Amino acid sequence: MKSWALFGITRKLTEKFDKSDKDTKQLNRIFKNSLHIYPIDVGNSGDLNLEMMALSAPQYNIHRFGIFFTDSPRHADILMVLGRPTKAMIEPLKETINQLPEPFGIVVFENSQLTGIDIETLKLPNVVAHIKEEVDAKRILSVLLDIMGK
Amino acid sequence: MRLLGVFEKDSKEMLLLQDKNTFFIQDRDSINESFDNYELLKNRDKYIGNGKTEGSGVFNFRYGPVTGGVSDAGVFNIYTHGERILSVNIDPSYKKRGIEKLIIGNDIQTSLMLSQSICSNFALSHSNAFLTAVEDAGNFSIDTTTKRIRIIAAELERIYNHLYVIARLSKGASQNVLTSHLEGLFEESLRTNQIFSGSRFLKNLNGFFIDKNTIGSLNEIKNRTEKIKKDFKELYSHSLESWNFIDRIYNTAVLTGKHALSIGVTGPTLRACSIAEDSRTYNKLYENFHPITKDRCDALSRMQVRAEEIMQSCEIIEQQIDKISSEEQHKKDIDISKISGMGIGYCESPTGLVAYFIELKKGVVENVYISTPSVFGFKAFCDSFVGYIFTDFSFSYDSFGINFADCSR
Amino acid sequence: MIYIKIALFGYLTAALAGFFDKKTSYILGSLSSISFLASGILSYNNDITITLMQISQNVSLSFKLDHLSCIFIIISSISWIAVELFSVDFGMLYRKRMAVLLNLGFFGMAVVFLSNDMLTFLFGYEIMTITSYLLITEKSNSQKGAFLFLAFSELSTILLISAFAVGFINSGNINLSNIKPSDNFYFLFLASLGFIIKMDIAPFHVWMRKAYEKAAANVLAVLSSSVTLVGVYGLFRIISATNSSHLWGILALSIGAISAFWGAVHAAASKGIKTLPAYSTTENNGLILALLGLYVLTLSLKAESTLATFAYLGAVILAFAHSISKTLLFLSIGQAQEALGEDEINNIRGIHSSVGKIPAFGIIVSGLSFGAFPPLIGYAAEWIVLESIFQSSQFPDILDRIISSSSGVLMALAMGFATFAMIKLMGYSALGYDHGKKAKKISVAFMNSAQLILMTAVFLGGILITFEFAYLGHKEFVIGALSVPQGFLLASAKPVFGVIAPLFYAVVISVFFIFCLLIYLKKRHTTKKVTSWNGGLELKENEYFTTSGYSYTIEYILRWIYRTKETLHNKKALVTTKDVAEFPYNLITDAAKKLSFYISRYIMNGNTHQYIAYIVIMFILSFLIF
Repeated sequence: MKSWALFGITRKLTEKFDKSDKDTKQLNRIFKNSLHIYPIDVGNSGDLNLEMMALSAPQYNIHRFGIFFTDSPRHADILMVLGRPTKAMIEPLKETINQLPEPFGIVVFENSQLTGIDIETLKLPNVVAHIKEEVDAKRILSVLLDIMGK
Repeated sequence: MRLLGVFEKDSKEMLLLQDKNTFFIQDRDSINESFDNYELLKNRDKYIGNGKTEGSGVFNFRYGPVTGGVSDAGVFNIYTHGERILSVNIDPSYKKRGIEKLIIGNDIQTSLMLSQSICSNFALSHSNAFLTAVEDAGNFSIDTTTKRIRIIAAELERIYNHLYVIARLSKGASQNVLTSHLEGLFEESLRTNQIFSGSRFLKNLNGFFIDKNTIGSLNEIKNRTEKIKKDFKELYSHSLESWNFIDRIYNTAVLTGKHALSIGVTGPTLRACSIAEDSRTYNKLYENFHPITKDRCDALSRMQVRAEEIMQSCEIIEQQIDKISSEEQHKKDIDISKISGMGIGYCESPTGLVAYFIELKKGVVENVYISTPSVFGFKAFCDSFVGYIFTDFSFSYDSFGINFADCSR
Repeated sequence: MIYIKIALFGYLTAALAGFFDKKTSYILGSLSSISFLASGILSYNNDITITLMQISQNVSLSFKLDHLSCIFIIISSISWIAVELFSVDFGMLYRKRMAVLLNLGFFGMAVVFLSNDMLTFLFGYEIMTITSYLLITEKSNSQKGAFLFLAFSELSTILLISAFAVGFINSGNINLSNIKPSDNFYFLFLASLGFIIKMDIAPFHVWMRKAYEKAAANVLAVLSSSVTLVGVYGLFRIISATNSSHLWGILALSIGAISAFWGAVHAAASKGIKTLPAYSTTENNGLILALLGLYVLTLSLKAESTLATFAYLGAVILAFAHSISKTLLFLSIGQAQEALGEDEINNIRGIHSSVGKIPAFGIIVSGLSFGAFPPLIGYAAEWIVLESIFQSSQFPDILDRIISSSSGVLMALAMGFATFAMIKLMGYSALGYDHGKKAKKISVAFMNSAQLILMTAVFLGGILITFEFAYLGHKEFVIGALSVPQGFLLASAKPVFGVIAPLFYAVVISVFFIFCLLIYLKKRHTTKKVTSWNGGLELKENEYFTTSGYSYTIEYILRWIYRTKETLHNKKALVTTKDVAEFPYNLITDAAKKLSFYISRYIMNGNTHQYIAYIVIMFILSFLIF
């Protein structure tokens, strides 16, 4: 067994990232090199929450692009709305958007249309991308890079 | 005997019960036994926990529904007078999607999709439980190879879920190197799922016949699981050497075996109380299967059970792949549009027992009750968290492997 | 001296006017206080003696204004002006009797500060004690607390009477300045103990919790700042007349430090809006006592010492800081407490919006001053305490050094706990979201002006600290260095050991503040304003972090001091802490209760002779106990 320190540095897990097709356009030039994201679960089936974990995996190494998760919407540039909202989550979602500092953008990933409310009826402000089909970590990263203009 | 659910049928209160490998429903009035978890199951959509605490200076430290610490939408009402947790009450209503209502009136195929969308990380367990319930209702059996494919999928699901839980635990303890490696393995296991079924969350394995030629290359799956097993084994042995990490989960959120049984908890939580119960033992296709148990009943024990189960699952997958390769598959014709009757199906999900009760009439679902492991898990979390402090939250919560999606359906 | 006469007659007239009209009485009282302040300032540099009555050749009753009494007259009259002004509005909620008693009380204290002989001193002292007792009873349900106060005060009086008797026998003279206490150990011991009890030094502070909870705010301001200040004055008076005693210094330093620590620790765990500042009084007076101890100790080692002078001046500044800050704190808290009718810090949140900006600001300014926030006066005072202790390393004897440094540790801890307590008080009362409680309508013009005067005093007292040192006649501590011009830098020793320049600190802070304010004002319209982030939902009433939550951690860690007890029964939880200093008193009370029970059973069974004997015995016993 290698020593723990050696184990950590002798593996290169980061992969070269090939961006898929363009989903959306650049949000603001100030986010070119740094983008802070806050994910909010509004009623998805859990897959998008797990994809968030996958997104922070070393294979994607999102920090090299300047993308970071925040612990509060007050520090976020982008709010990632995960799933279609349940009725009870509409108010918390609106309050979370209210807490975002300007300028901000909202990205909606629906993944499944089987449950929840159509998010378009909520008329959320500054929606920069609204993706209805199923997405995985790779696609999410690609959308974020689009927003940054990379 | 374990109470798994309470529901209405023909304006009577019915109980969904399990007695070892037999699952049945019974009228509440016709049963003499009382169950400790009856109130829990009756109110599972309103609140789960051990009630409010009042008093001078006591306040509700509400955690949720939107927090950085818990990715799911749900509210933890934590009553405390500063540090010590006095009681915890969980409000699962924020994630309530009403999937049971959506299922009723739909055909089997749509219902299956809906059951998978309850909780994506237990999607396979839910669909397995649903399908076995249909098989029970229609009183037919499916071919062995399809059963084996389901077993492989169930074990793949167990691997990535357990990896997820252990990664969350290590993230909570700020073990950043370990977390990164575990997240890397987690992503690898999701990719393995995609190769196997075409879906990262194993959602495409529907139906009563799965052709072994339509799924991904079994050899590749075997190689990948072998690699995951090897890598994880090394990571796990490293993690057990990190006292910073072990100290945080050792003796944290202790749940005794007796208490676990009274709540009705199953899965790794129960097995961490040295109770060797696993519904996989009822399936004859699992050969030489022995549940893994630990005896300290704390978060560390639960993590150890999960870690060893990852390696066990890898072995099961290899074993099943060998069997599939050497056997021939015969398609049975099943007409699901004509099935009528009641059925109960179950599956051992990574967190515990998922059980479905369904009533079908000519291929259409008339009544459904879904018993999910997270309901019991949340109650176990609430009870075991009392007396600890909020810093132990992530270790307690994550060690149970529970989530609101599974709990509130 | 015309101003003294105006002041004294003014107080008596004001007291008389109180029988007819409250407002006139308080206004007359405040004018008298202004006159008293003037007398203090004007006779600061020239001693005046006024003979009142010549009893015999050696014995005469007289007033005397010297340097020391003028300092205390200035300190106390500033807070009296504020209290009288405050009472013009506040007194409307109470009976006329309060106006009479308050002015009589000030008269008594004025007499104490002016007195040159023991009899006049005791006369003023007793007036002060009795009026304070009656003032506490002005609010309903306060009998028990008031009686406790009276018991401790009378103990103090008895000790003083004994001390003065010893002094008289010793010197054949009742003149205070003629006593040489160092010649007589008993005088020094008895008098010091009497004054220490008056200063609420631990463990003689146990009456406070019960008495303070019940009394009115203006009364508390007087009790906590002026009445204890009389005790401080008494100590200053007896040690200035003495050749210093090494033992006294050591004892005062250690008792003061312990008291400071004890007061601060219990302030940190207090949940009552009035008990927290009450414990802070124990802490502050402990610091004063410790500094006086250090002064005496240093003098006993070396006749001429800058450290001794510095410690002495520090005690004066500390007394000043405590007097005005504590008056301000009680007035502001009292206004809010009266308007909202709540006694717990938990229930009084958001004073700035529910009661008013001025009381909220008053709590913050005084709280910051007690928390040693620069450039307020509390900062300068606590800096002096620590600097003095640091310099005690020059003591030749290792034992002295050990005692002074361990006292320093306790005092530093006390300051930390005091800050912790004050943050609790400020954060949970003045700031935060209000409960939506409706405040009672009271006219506030005079109350606000009283608080504004004190706020200005707290602020100016801090930034003008170098001028105060110069005024007290010790320009040697005022220097100029490190690009601070001459006259604005306060040094703690010669050669320079440590320095502060609160005025410059204030200038720097204001520049930054104004800079930020300008940016804010410019961007005000485009700045997004939101409520605090609470997981996406509004906070409900039971979801606010409570004061118990704030202090639970230290109550748990220091459970051996607090005797912390957590109870959880039928879903009702409670954390209780105890002040173990109360145990002996509780034992005495319990024993007395049991005794009276048995006596009523076995002795007081209808026999008149036994009954009379019992009354006599109980009278003597209770006199001995308290």
